[in-house]
Amino acid sequence: MKNTQDTELLFDLSRPGRRAARLPACDVPERPLSELLPSTALAQTPPNLPELSEPQVVRHFVNLSTQNMSVDTHFYPLGSCTMKYNPKRNERAASLPGLADLHPYQPDSTLQGILQILYELQEMLQEISGLAACSLQPAAGAHGELAALLVASAYFRDLGQKRSIVLVPDNAHGTNPASATMAGFQTVSIKTTSAGFVDMAELTAHLSEQVAVLMITNPSTLGLFEPNMRQIADQVHAVGGLVYLDGANMNAILGITRPGDFGADMQHYNPHKTFSGPHGGGGPGAGPICVTERLAPYLPVPLVVRQNEQDLQKNGDSPPVYRLDFSRPKSIGQVRAFFGNVGVLLRAYAYLRTHGPEGLRRVAENAVLNANYLLSRVKTMLPVPQGDRCMHEFVASAAQLKAEKNISAMDIAKRLLDYGFHAPTVYFPLTVAEAIMIEPTESEGKQTLDAFAEVLSHILQEDPQLLHDAPHTTSISRPDEVRAARHPILSHPEE
Amino acid sequence: MPYLYNTPEDQREMLAAIGADSLADLFDTIPGDLQLSGLLDLPPALSEMELDRELNQFAGCNQHAGTLACFLGGGSYDHFVPAVVDAIGSRSEFYTSYTPYQAEASQGNLQVVFEYQSLIARLTGMDISNASMYDGGSATAEAVLMAISTTRRHGNVVVPHSVHPEYRATIATYLENLDVEIRWLKTPMGVTETEHLAQAVDDQTAAVVLQHPNFFGCLEEPVKVAQIAQNAGALLVSIFDPISLGLLTRPGDDGANIAVAEGQSLGTPMTYGGPYLGIMACDKKLVRRMPGRIAGQTVDRHGKRCFVLTLQTREQHIRREKATSNVCTNQGLFALRATVYLAQLGPQGLRETANLCLQKSHYASQQLCRQPRFSPAFDQPTFKEFVIRDAENRVDELLQSATDSGYLAGIPLKSWYPELADCFLVAVTEKRTREEIDGLVRVLGDSA
Repeated sequence: MKNTQDTELLFDLSRPGRRAARLPACDVPERPLSELLPSTALAQTPPNLPELSEPQVVRHFVNLSTQNMSVDTHFYPLGSCTMKYNPKRNERAASLPGLADLHPYQPDSTLQGILQILYELQEMLQEISGLAACSLQPAAGAHGELAALLVASAYFRDLGQKRSIVLVPDNAHGTNPASATMAGFQTVSIKTTSAGFVDMAELTAHLSEQVAVLMITNPSTLGLFEPNMRQIADQVHAVGGLVYLDGANMNAILGITRPGDFGADMQHYNPHKTFSGPHGGGGPGAGPICVTERLAPYLPVPLVVRQNEQDLQKNGDSPPVYRLDFSRPKSIGQVRAFFGNVGVLLRAYAYLRTHGPEGLRRVAENAVLNANYLLSRVKTMLPVPQGDRCMHEFVASAAQLKAEKNISAMDIAKRLLDYGFHAPTVYFPLTVAEAIMIEPTESEGKQTLDAFAEVLSHILQEDPQLLHDAPHTTSISRPDEVRAARHPILSHPEE
Repeated sequence: MPYLYNTPEDQREMLAAIGADSLADLFDTIPGDLQLSGLLDLPPALSEMELDRELNQFAGCNQHAGTLACFLGGGSYDHFVPAVVDAIGSRSEFYTSYTPYQAEASQGNLQVVFEYQSLIARLTGMDISNASMYDGGSATAEAVLMAISTTRRHGNVVVPHSVHPEYRATIATYLENLDVEIRWLKTPMGVTETEHLAQAVDDQTAAVVLQHPNFFGCLEEPVKVAQIAQNAGALLVSIFDPISLGLLTRPGDDGANIAVAEGQSLGTPMTYGGPYLGIMACDKKLVRRMPGRIAGQTVDRHGKRCFVLTLQTREQHIRREKATSNVCTNQGLFALRATVYLAQLGPQGLRETANLCLQKSHYASQQLCRQPRFSPAFDQPTFKEFVIRDAENRVDELLQSATDSGYLAGIPLKSWYPELADCFLVAVTEKRTREEIDGLVRVLGDSA
C-alpha cells in the first residue's frame, strides 16, 4: 500500500516544461518590463522552483500526510501540549468568507462582526482568568510571555523602579527563561523540592527589591497544583514584584480556580492547546495575555473597545460600536504586525461558546479524571516520583528500568508508535530522570486509556533489544540525529 | 458536552480505580479558599446549529474581500489561493498533528518543512531558511536581534521610514530594554537615500534594515545599501515580498545577510491579520544564531534518507536563558500552504503572477493619475503598490465614499506619516480585473 514514488522530494519529481497553474491573460494593456522597472532590479531567469503537474502535487502531499500521526488518527498523549480533539465546526466557521477574507486595514465600520467576536473573547478570557484586561495580540505562548514581561518592565519603569531579576522554578518550560532574556531581564532559577513544589526557603532567599517577576506554571509541568500558591504570590507582592502565570496548563483548572484569584498579576493562554485550536504540525498558535487593572495601560496596542452610549450619541449618526483603540500612551507598542492570530482566536471563541460555564468546568474535570485514571494504571508499572494524584498530566520515570534493564524513556516512546499510539513527551521536565510526561486530555476516555495502559504493560515485558530497535512499523526508524547536527543538510542542493 | 467521551458509568469506574469519591475530590489539592464557589460568568453553551447561526450572523456583519473590491495591501494581500492549497491544508493528518519531536511519527511534516526550507532558499538566493516564524513583523525584529548577537555590536541599528510602520514598531518594542539605539532615517523621496544612510552607519551599527519593494511599493537600491552596511561591518536585514521574486532579483543576489518576509501572499487567507507566515533565511555562517526550528536531512538506522529537527542546541527547550530566541512554535500549517502554493505555481506561474501584479498596478496608477486631483506621491519605480496624493487633501472622505460604493480603495497614511496626510496606499494584485480597476478610478473620480 505504501506509495514511495510520489513522496520523493518535489525537486526530484520535477521535469522541465511541466506546469500546474494557468493564470488569466493580462486584461490591461501590457507594457514591456523595461518600461516599468530598472533593468538592474530584474532577475535574469525565472525563480528556480520545481515544475510539477497538479495531480502530482496533490498525490505528493496527500501521501506525505499519511506519514504523520495526528489527533484525528491516533491517541496523542504528548504531555504539556494538550492534544485534544479539534472540532470540525470551528474549522468550518473560521473559513467563512465573512471571517477569512478580511483585510487587517479595512475600516472598523466594515468589521463590526469580527470586532464584536474579538471584544467578547477578550471579556471571556478575562473572566476565566479573573484578571481585568486582555490583549489578543501575541502570536504564541512564548510571544505572550515576552509581551507580558515587557508590560512588567514598562510598569516598573513608570514607577521609577529598576528591577532586573526574573525568578523561574527549575521545572519551568524553556520559554520562560528565554523570554526573560529577550525582555532584558536576568533569570534566576529557583530549585523545586523533591515533591515538585517551589522550595519556600529558596524563594524567600531569592526575594528582594531587585525581583521584577516570578514566572510560575501552575498546575506545574509535573501536573501538580502548587499548594503554597497564595503564600508564594503574597511574598512576591510583599517585595513589590509581580507574579506571571504560564497558562500552558489552564486545561486543568477551567472554571475550578482562577489565576487572578490565586495571586497572578498576568498570564498568557495557549488557545491552540486549551481552547482546541489545532496545532497545525507546529503552529500557528496564539498567546493572548490577561493582566490586572494596574498593568492594563501597558498592554500592546491595539485593543478592541466597545463605545459607550454617550460616546456613540456624541459622535453623531451611526458610528461603529466596536473599534480598535490605538491611543494608549503607556502601551509597550506592538509585538507583531496587525491585530493578532485571529484565525486561532476565532476557533477559541467557537470553543468557548460551545461549552459555556458548565461545559468548561466539565472539560477540566474530565481532563483531570482521565489523567488520574491513567496515573492509577501506569504507576503499577513505572514509578511516578511525584505522587499518587495529579491534575491534567503526570510524569513517570524510566530511571529504574534504565538502570535494571537498560530500557530508556526514548525506547518506550518509540515502541509505543508500533502499537499506534503517539509517544508521550520524554526527557521533560528536566528535574525528573528519564521523564515520560503523559497528558490524555478530556476528549479521550476510559477505553482508549485502558488500551494504552495494556500496551505499555506489554511493552515493558518485551525483549529490550526489540525496544532499542523500535519503531519497526513506521516508514523510518531511529534517525541519526548526531549526523544531522554535525553535517547539516538543511535544503535540497540547487542544481 | 459534545467532545467528551466518558459515560457516567465510565466515570464511576474510573473514580473507584483512582480511589476518589467524586470528581470534586480530584481537585482537593487546590486549597478550598482558592476554588470558585459558583460557575464562571460566561454566556451559556450553544449547540452546533446555534453556533453556526451565530457565527454566520457575525460574518454577515462584516464586509469582506469577496463583496468589496480589495485594493488594500500594506503587508497583507488579496492574492489568489488555488484550491489545491486549501485541499492539502485541510488534511487533518497535517493540521491536527504537532511539532515533529518524534521523527518516525512525523515524516510527513518533516519532509514538508525540508521542502519549504529548500524552496525558500531557492526563491531568496540565501543559503538557509528556518522552519518559519510568527509573521513578517516579528521575523524582522528577530533578524535585528540576530544581527546584534552576530556582530556583537550593541550600539545602533539603522531603519529607514520606508520600512513597514508596524514592523518598525515591532523592532522598537523588541529593543526597548536592550540599550540599542534605533536610528530612523527619513525617506521624503519614498526610498532610502544612500548618502544619508552612509552618514547614519558607523562602527557600532549592527544592522541596516531595508524593505524592497518598500512599504510605499517603491523599489529601493538593495545592492548599494548592502555595500554601505557591509563596508561598515553591519549586516543587511532585507525584507522582501515573495511574489515580487517572480520578477525581481533575489535578496541573496543583492547582498542581504538575513532575508525576512511576510509569507501570507503564498496561499494564506487574510483573516484580519493573522495567523500568517514569517519567512526567515540567512547566510550559512549565521545559522547557529538563527532563531526557530530547522529541519535537516539525515539517514535512519537502515541507512534510509529521512528528516529530523536539528541544530536544537540553539533553542529554548535546550538552552533556556541562553537560547537564540524564546520562539517555540513555528507556523507549520502556513509553511505547508506556502510549499504547496509554490509547487503549484512553479517558476512560470510565479513569474506570471508577479507580472500581472506589476502590469495591473501600473495601469491603475496611470488611470488614477489622469485625473488632476491625483498624482503619484513619489517619482520612483514601483512593483504592486503605489502611493497616491490627493490634491484636495480629503483622504478620509474619499476612502469612505469608495467603501460605500463597494471598493476598499486604499490605506490612509496619516496615522503613521503625518507628512503624508494627503496620501493613501493602493495595492493591485493579480486578482483585480480591469473592470474593478476602472471602477475604482471612476468611484474615486466621482467623489471629487
